[in-house]
Amino acid sequence: MPATDPSPRTRTEFADRIIVIVPAFNEQEALPSTLAGLRATALPLDVVVIDDGSTDDTAAIATANGAVCLQLPFNLGIGGALRTGFRYAVELGYQRGIQFDADGQHDPSQIEALLAPLAEGADMVVGSRFAGAGDYRVGRSRGVAMNILRWAIRRLAGQRFTDTSSGFRSFGPDVLALFAAEYPIEYMDSVEALVMACRAGFDVREVPTVMHERTGGVASNRSFRLAYHYVRVLVSLANTPKAQRRPAGAPS
Amino acid sequence: MSTRAHIMLAILVAMAILVIVRLVRRRHLKAKYSLLWLTLGGFMVVIAAVPGLLDWTAARLGIYYQPTLLILLGLALLLLIVMHFSYELSRMENRVRTLAEESAILRHRLRVLEQGAPATTPGDASGGAEESDDWPGDEPTNGSGVTDQA
Repeated sequence: MPATDPSPRTRTEFADRIIVIVPAFNEQEALPSTLAGLRATALPLDVVVIDDGSTDDTAAIATANGAVCLQLPFNLGIGGALRTGFRYAVELGYQRGIQFDADGQHDPSQIEALLAPLAEGADMVVGSRFAGAGDYRVGRSRGVAMNILRWAIRRLAGQRFTDTSSGFRSFGPDVLALFAAEYPIEYMDSVEALVMACRAGFDVREVPTVMHERTGGVASNRSFRLAYHYVRVLVSLANTPKAQRRPAGAPS
Repeated sequence: MSTRAHIMLAILVAMAILVIVRLVRRRHLKAKYSLLWLTLGGFMVVIAAVPGLLDWTAARLGIYYQPTLLILLGLALLLLIVMHFSYELSRMENRVRTLAEESAILRHRLRVLEQGAPATTPGDASGGAEESDDWPGDEPTNGSGVTDQA
């Protein structure tokens, strides 16, 4: 970073804290319990809710529950909301970040497990629903589609993942910086982001995590829309640039 | 093409070019986009002005029905223009997204500044205070609020 940079990104106060990025679109029902769950952990978490153009009281509820709320002027989709969070994290100088769903399907008690590999040198960790822990089930057609995606991702990422669409993830500083600059913007962003990180040469790992059923909101799984995004994501994945530029200081 | 057809084409093209120039003058059309359309117009002018050109070119390319060549070339140019629009649109969407993201962050920073130092986080014991009160211009809360500029 340039020495003359007057912006707050060179600050160090946030280096030891962990930013929890919570994208939220009309999540006023689920948000209070989600935020309460995060508050209850013993970890030094700073929760940032990104209100993605909600029409309900998401922003007010987030603030009232002790979170920082970044309000987008209109709906950008989950990818845009996440990138806003990554930008904010990088600006303030956070070294570790968590991506956490507002709808209550992620369990705050699993965050420690998600953070552990970062200390061992991982750049990004994905919390998997299928890698052994928990009892999360998906329907059959969704299962088949996920299998095909998993295969494509294995080819592209050069690595096997059991849960590529999981939105429960942790990031080290270099991946935070990568995603602050460039993050897939459309639905199924999590899959593309995973491949992006792998192809950029980062150490991406997976840990088994327990997840809950959703407590509020509507899952985005209308089938025709899903099919469109499914095809789009396959095309997009095939075009993910392979940039073997690991950040300075990282072993190859 | 018959002489009558050529005259008609010439008139149409002249009108199209006039409309484009007018739009640019009124600043309804940016000059860089008008260039694309003027290229298309100029190309049509040449065809209209030189009667034998289209027939001759078509014959050289082995096209037996001359208007096909006109349609083919016109279509190719239109395709280029549309592709250029898609490109511009993608770029604009990217910029709008970035602006929206920046605005969300700046809005938060402004709110924090307006409310003075430790604000916006009632009743949060686990760190809300730290995250909101440390923007430039605020007093560091923990004596060692170092700003690392080195």
